[in-house]
Amino acid sequence: MIKASNLSVRLSGTQVLHGVNIEAAAGQLTAIVGPNGSGKTTSLKAIAGEVPYDGTVSINSHNITTLKPWELALKRAVLPQSTVISFPFTVREIVRMGLSVGAKADAADTDRIARDALEAVDLSGFAGRFYQELSGGEQQRVQLARALCQIWEPVQHGEPSFLLLDEPVSSLDIRHQLTIMRLARGFCERGGGVIAIMHDLNLTAMFADRMIMMKAGRVHATGHPNEVMTDAVMEAVFGCAMRVNATPVGNVPFVLPHTAA
Amino acid sequence: MLPSEMMAGDGRSRSYAARLISDWHMGDRSRLARLLIVFLVVAAAAMFAASIMTGAADASLANVLRWLLGMESAEQALSVRDRIIILDIRLPRAVLGLLVGASLAVSGAVMQGLFRNPLADPGLVGVSSGASLGAVLLIVLGSSFFGPLFAVFGFYALPVAAFVGGLITTLLLYKIATRSGQTSVATMLLAGIALGALAGAVTGVLIFMADDKQLRDLTFWGLGSLAGANWMKILSAGPIILISLAVVPFLARGLNALTLGEAAAFHMGIPVQRLKNIAIVSVAASTGASVAVSGGIGFVGIVVPHVLRMVIGPDHRYLLPASALLGGTLLIFADMIARTIVPPAELPIGIITAFAGAPFFLWILLRGRSHMGL
Repeated sequence: MIKASNLSVRLSGTQVLHGVNIEAAAGQLTAIVGPNGSGKTTSLKAIAGEVPYDGTVSINSHNITTLKPWELALKRAVLPQSTVISFPFTVREIVRMGLSVGAKADAADTDRIARDALEAVDLSGFAGRFYQELSGGEQQRVQLARALCQIWEPVQHGEPSFLLLDEPVSSLDIRHQLTIMRLARGFCERGGGVIAIMHDLNLTAMFADRMIMMKAGRVHATGHPNEVMTDAVMEAVFGCAMRVNATPVGNVPFVLPHTAA
Repeated sequence: MLPSEMMAGDGRSRSYAARLISDWHMGDRSRLARLLIVFLVVAAAAMFAASIMTGAADASLANVLRWLLGMESAEQALSVRDRIIILDIRLPRAVLGLLVGASLAVSGAVMQGLFRNPLADPGLVGVSSGASLGAVLLIVLGSSFFGPLFAVFGFYALPVAAFVGGLITTLLLYKIATRSGQTSVATMLLAGIALGALAGAVTGVLIFMADDKQLRDLTFWGLGSLAGANWMKILSAGPIILISLAVVPFLARGLNALTLGEAAAFHMGIPVQRLKNIAIVSVAASTGASVAVSGGIGFVGIVVPHVLRMVIGPDHRYLLPASALLGGTLLIFADMIARTIVPPAELPIGIITAFAGAPFFLWILLRGRSHMGL
């Protein structure tokens, strides 16, 4: 499991996080939601070990500061919001970069993993395309395939691997939003863990096991989507009065902007 | 055995070409890259031989080979005069061309990887100017200020001074152009112009102060030339260039990851700060050593990696060795043109590389504007 305790981060003089606690268990999809600028991405960056922070972050009970970059890379992979590349890499070359990290498999195996990863993000047949010529949503899925390759086995040596996703579906069409969320769920069901920053509350409610609602650098509410997505929380966090409804089948909460007062 | 394997066993050459094409469609350029590297090794060897045979004195390949392989006593194969020309003029010149060309092209490729931009080049962004400044400082103020430096480094002092100049410029440039892991291309190029101009101005002051003998030593820096090649220069710059070239293959995987950004490279397990430190020192060392022995030769570092990226892609595992080979080959070729185009005089090689490289650079700019964040 990933455990971040009492995280505080200052970025260029501004206190962005104030003592945030985030836990993400293996086998669960943990979603971080909240308004723009509430500290979601910064939290994820601290958990990834990418920005300096006060507090502790541990992954499978290892404090991440005690791990070398290449040891950390075997335990978690990160999908950034968007990646601009100024060199003409093919999709295959980008995806295979993820494979250069992990335990060395033989050539046939790496070929298969790269192919399967592209298939998992619905980009079969894109291997020979140039990354720079793809649309934003396609590029994002290529990066996800690359991250997947890095921790292809959700459980390695008895330890769960983690996917940290920063808005994995933000630039995707609805069909691919579902593809990617199902992929993330599948990763959890096979024993891995996922932390995803999400904007689409309805999609989050459908797929997340736990929801962490942030506001102004603090965790405002945490729990099952049914517990977190309430009229009171929506108003307190987003500052707009909205009616949270639930689907008749499955009692999955959803919120429509139409209901905003 | 599977049927497909049996087919592969049949027409080998045909199936190799077919495999290259199918790899290309699958986005896999590694086989093509390996093939190109083999081809470039052959090309470099051929160009090296051609360079030794080209010039006013007659030294045919057959004669040179027979002499070098000891198949015939020296007197029979070549005259004493020709042997001196080959051994003390053409051979060091070709070796220096190979070393400097490889070093320029590889430092270009590494710097482009480091800045994540195909327009970064030690010559364009002022690193060469900084290295020149280091060298000029040493020549002009040498005996009075840097006596101890000479004492410690001996004839390595000049490349070391150029290395220090290049290193300071590279570090400054990196500090200026990179903010929280993102490099701004515009800032990099403009800061490079400013740093280059500053180094140029200081160099100008030093030249103004220089005496006649020093002026003669200084003149060739502005032009860039292999004309002064001798074994001494190779001994002083060669080891530095070879060491920095030897380090570079270990950077390849890290530079690949770095093209996705510093954060992404860290996520993928690359010790980013260490990678950047090694890359910067290696670029400064090889640029400094090259500038110390041959002055500023422009555009090799930008043209060679760019052409190669178009053919085999940007994977540094192949790009770096291929750049070394093509850079060396092209510089020897440019030098052959430089010393034969206006006989008996010689054109500085920097003029040739600028004539070929500058239009090419403009073409890169116009063609790839959208991909380079300009």
